[in-house]
Amino acid sequence: MIRFENVSKTYPGQPRPALEKLSLEIEKGEFVFLVGQSGSGKSTFMRMILRETRPTTGRVYVAGKEINRLANWKVPKLRRQLGTVFQDFRLLPNKTVSENVAFALQVIGKSRSEIRRVVPETLELVGLEGKGDRMPDELSGGEQQRVAVARAFVNRPMILIADEPTGNLDPATSVGIMKLLDRINRTGTTVVMATHDAGIVDQMRKRVIELAGGVLVRDQSRGAYDYEN
Amino acid sequence: MALGSIFSELTTGLRRNFSMTVSLVVTMSVSLVLASLGLLLQAQADRTEKYFGDRLQIQVNLCTQNSSADSCVGGRATPEQEAEVESALDGNPEVKSFERWSPERNYEQAQERLGQNEEDRKQLEALGPESFGTSYMVTLEDPNEFQGVQSQISGMDGVASVFSLRDLLAPLFEVLSKLRWAALGTSLLLIVAAVLQVSNTIRMTAYARRREIGIMRLVGASTWHIQLPFILESLVAAVVSAALACGGLAAFMHFVVYGFLRDRLAGLTTWVRWQEAITVMGYTTVLALLLALVPTLVMTRRYLKV
Repeated sequence: MIRFENVSKTYPGQPRPALEKLSLEIEKGEFVFLVGQSGSGKSTFMRMILRETRPTTGRVYVAGKEINRLANWKVPKLRRQLGTVFQDFRLLPNKTVSENVAFALQVIGKSRSEIRRVVPETLELVGLEGKGDRMPDELSGGEQQRVAVARAFVNRPMILIADEPTGNLDPATSVGIMKLLDRINRTGTTVVMATHDAGIVDQMRKRVIELAGGVLVRDQSRGAYDYEN
Repeated sequence: MALGSIFSELTTGLRRNFSMTVSLVVTMSVSLVLASLGLLLQAQADRTEKYFGDRLQIQVNLCTQNSSADSCVGGRATPEQEAEVESALDGNPEVKSFERWSPERNYEQAQERLGQNEEDRKQLEALGPESFGTSYMVTLEDPNEFQGVQSQISGMDGVASVFSLRDLLAPLFEVLSKLRWAALGTSLLLIVAAVLQVSNTIRMTAYARRREIGIMRLVGASTWHIQLPFILESLVAAVVSAALACGGLAAFMHFVVYGFLRDRLAGLTTWVRWQEAITVMGYTTVLALLLALVPTLVMTRRYLKV
C-alpha cells in the first residue's frame, strides 16, 4: 500500500537531511504508529505520502502509484484515496457539521443524492448522529475531531493519515478517537498515525515505526512507544 | 459539483469580498470608459477622414451663379472653362490625379453633413442642388507642395476658390488625435492599475481562504475546482464593469454626441453614430473579460498549486 525505497529528502538551505535512506513497507489494512521526537522526519514522511513534497532521492509508492513520477494534475486523484486528520481538526468554521463532511464529497464532484445518503451514515459511524446541524464551535474538541475523521473517511479512502489526532484532546476523549480509528482500520483501511502519546501506543500494541534524525531506528510489530525487548 | 452549490459558493465569496470587488469594479469601469472613449474617438477620426476624403487633396471649386470672386464675373462656369481647368490639371507635373465632383455630388455630401441638424437641413433644401458648383479633388505628388498648383489654378476664369484640405483640416485632426491619445494613454495607466488590483485581490482572497483551500487540496479537489470560485468572482466583476462602462458610453452618445455635437456642431464633420458606439461596446466587453480573467488565471495558477 505504501512503500519507501531508499528515500532521502533534503530541504533547500538545510544542511541535514529530513529523511535519510529510509526503506519500509506498509501493507494494506495495517495500523502503524509513527513515533519520534519533533524534527525526526515524521512530518516529511506524512507529507510525502500526501505528495505535498517529493523525495530528493529514492522512490515512494502510494496506492500503487510512484509519487515522484506522478504528474501534477493526477495528484488530486491520489489524494482522493487518502483521508487526512490533523491535530487542529481543520474544520471550516462557517459550515455545519454535515456541510463540513459533505464538502469533501462536493469538491470531488459527487452527486447530491449520494452526498445526502453517505453523510448521515458516516456521522453515525463516528458517533455524531443528530449533530449534523451544529456548527463546529458548538462542539467539544473530541466531537470536532470526530467530524474531521468523518470527513476523512466519508470517501472510504484506502489509507487514513492521522497527524497527532489526539494531540489537543484529553486522555479520555483520546481513547474514543482511537477506538474510532481502530474501527475504521477494521474496515480494511490502512491507518498511519504520527503521535507523541505513549499511553495510546502502549495500549494499542500495533506496529511502531520510530524515526530519529530522519533515520529509521525501529520497526516493531505490536510495539510500545519506548523500545523494549 | 452541482450548479446550486457553485452558485451559493459564489454569492458567499462575493459577500465576503464585497469591498474589494466594489473597488475592483470601480477601477475597471473607469478605465474601460476611458478606453472606449478612445476607441470612439478613433471611430470619429476614421469617419472624419473618410468624409473629407484623402487629406492630401486640394479642392478646386468652380463658380456658381452666386460666386462673388473676381474670376466669376461670367456667373456659373462654362463647359469651356471646365475643360481648360481640366487640361491645366492634366498638364501640371505636380498633380498625381484628380476627380471631378458634379454639383449633385457636392449637394449630396452637404446633405449628409448638414442633415444632422434640422435647421441646416431646411436651409439646404431651400438652396437646392443648383446653387452648388462643380469641383475637383486633386491629389498631389507631394502633398506639401500645394502652392504651385494653387496659384496656377486660382487665377483661371471660372474658378471660385482653391484650398488645401490638408491646411484646412489640420487643426481638427490634431485635436482628434490628441484627444484620442490622451484617452488611450490614461486608460492604459488605469488598465495597468486594474490588472494589479485583480492580482492583489486574488492574492488576498487566496490568503483569506487558505484554510478552505488547504482542505480542498487534502480531500483531492482538482486545481480547476479550486480555481473556479476565483474565476467566477472575477467574471462577475468583469461583467458588472463592462455593463457600467457601456452604460457610460451610451450616456456619452446620448447627451454629448446626439444631444450636443450632432446638433450644435453639425457643420464641422459627421459625428459618430450608435452603430459605431455599439461596436466599441463590444470591444469594451471583450477587454473587460480579458482584464479580469487573464490575471485571475495567472495568479490562481501561482497561488493555488495543488
